[in-house]
Amino acid sequence: MKRRIKAYLPFTINELKRQMAYKGAFYLFILVKMFGAFINYYLWMAIYGSTNQNTLGGLTQGEMVIYIFMAYLTGTIVTVSVSNWVSEDVVQGTVAMNLIKPIDYRMSLISRASGDMIYQFLVPSVFIWIGLEIYRAAVPGLPPFSAEKVLFYLVSTVLSFLIYVLFDFCFGMIAFFTTYIFGLMMVKQALIAFLTGQLIPISFFPEAVQRVFDFLPFSSMVYTPVMIYLGKYTGNKLFFMLLRQAAWVVLLYLFGSLIWRKVTKRLVILGG
Amino acid sequence: MMRMKCRRYLRLYRVIISQFFKIILQSRVDFFMGLFGFFFSQILGIAFLYLVFEQIPSLQGWTLDQLIFIYGFAQIPRGIDHLFTDNIWMVAWRFVVNGEFDRYMLRPMNILFQIISEKLQPDALGELLVGILLVTRSMIKGIVITDALHTVLFFVSILAGALIYTSIKTFFAALAFWLKVSGPFLQVAYETANFAKYPTEIYAKGIRFMITWVIPFAFVAYLPASFFLKAGGSPVVIGMECGIAAVFCCIAYFVFERGTHVYESAGN
Repeated sequence: MKRRIKAYLPFTINELKRQMAYKGAFYLFILVKMFGAFINYYLWMAIYGSTNQNTLGGLTQGEMVIYIFMAYLTGTIVTVSVSNWVSEDVVQGTVAMNLIKPIDYRMSLISRASGDMIYQFLVPSVFIWIGLEIYRAAVPGLPPFSAEKVLFYLVSTVLSFLIYVLFDFCFGMIAFFTTYIFGLMMVKQALIAFLTGQLIPISFFPEAVQRVFDFLPFSSMVYTPVMIYLGKYTGNKLFFMLLRQAAWVVLLYLFGSLIWRKVTKRLVILGG
Repeated sequence: MMRMKCRRYLRLYRVIISQFFKIILQSRVDFFMGLFGFFFSQILGIAFLYLVFEQIPSLQGWTLDQLIFIYGFAQIPRGIDHLFTDNIWMVAWRFVVNGEFDRYMLRPMNILFQIISEKLQPDALGELLVGILLVTRSMIKGIVITDALHTVLFFVSILAGALIYTSIKTFFAALAFWLKVSGPFLQVAYETANFAKYPTEIYAKGIRFMITWVIPFAFVAYLPASFFLKAGGSPVVIGMECGIAAVFCCIAYFVFERGTHVYESAGN
């Protein structure tokens, strides 16, 4: 175990260092992504302003503010695009090098993604989070801060991260069949934003659609941790949700191993 | 003299573009995937509006159909600009810092023309398709004014809007001549356009001011679109859009031209 950690830790640290090096570009990207959150914020404020109801989709206006920014924040932490790296490695043929090294390619990707995740968490997310906690304290009617909820939120987010990365690894396998996956990546990104609850809480979807989502991994990626943070899941329901996330981690892991074996069998690399 | 020059450039454009079509035909799968990608992500934006309007009758006085028109209208100038001038992004990300810009300096042709004509971006057809579909839908529903004046101004507005897009792109890409890479800045500026997909009244004053006067995307999408809806708006909006397009065009071209003079090759 110790040897394994020693082998994969450098991937994490390297990615962290790489991110630190391109700070300028990174902050601008954060800004771009924040645009989306702010558009969403103003849009939702206008939506709540256009209705007499106190709650929409089960959320009050105050809860919605927290939802929007927490969903944004969770989305940024969780969605590390492993498939980008896979497609780069495939197009450039460097994936062959990874096959002959005595390490597991997927593990190295996950370790690298962890570096990304930690960085995204440290740099923008913590500050947004602190801002949100101040908001939570200032606005009456919101549930108070609770260390327990935060703890469960963090556990759930780590599971979300694993679900996303394992899912994205499977998605990245498409790169072995076509070199231009840009179009598909756009589809994936749009779908992820929509189905994970980043754009709109899952509770806004029609009942029947929600039942279908129960059998897909997407709502476990963002919606579940944010709902935990908001205190919407408690007791048995909370444990069921965490269990469901864990089940997705296992399932996607096994599925990934399966396609990886299939794909590497038919791999052809130009030149040596 | 001027006419001959124009004709020469038109001929060149045809030659370059026909080369490009050959490339597309070679990789048809890529073409359809890119198109589908853009089409699909726009459609989800509409699905979002549908879900929201399940809960509310109207958004600050705007109905769902009207918002869908604004959304769709915004895609058309964006799509036109995206289709024809996508290569400008490369100036911001790669050409200057890698020294690839050398080859444009060497040819006896207008530099910006060379860059723009080098590539058509077929992915943009996805955006255009969504835009045209949604505008057509609004016309069938009878919520847009379709008399002669509005129809003419519709096309004027789309062209002016595309020009504003191109100018903003050129301006921020040209910063690369001084910064080497200006991609992130261009990205920030470009994404600002997303604010204008919705009525600007929903935003705080500062944001509204910025998207109306600083990076004037409100003039590309929301403001002209609301003129075409039955709101009794004044055609002055379209006039202002054209004015802004002209001014931004001049500024962007001037900065770009300046930039080519300070350009230094990466050397090899």
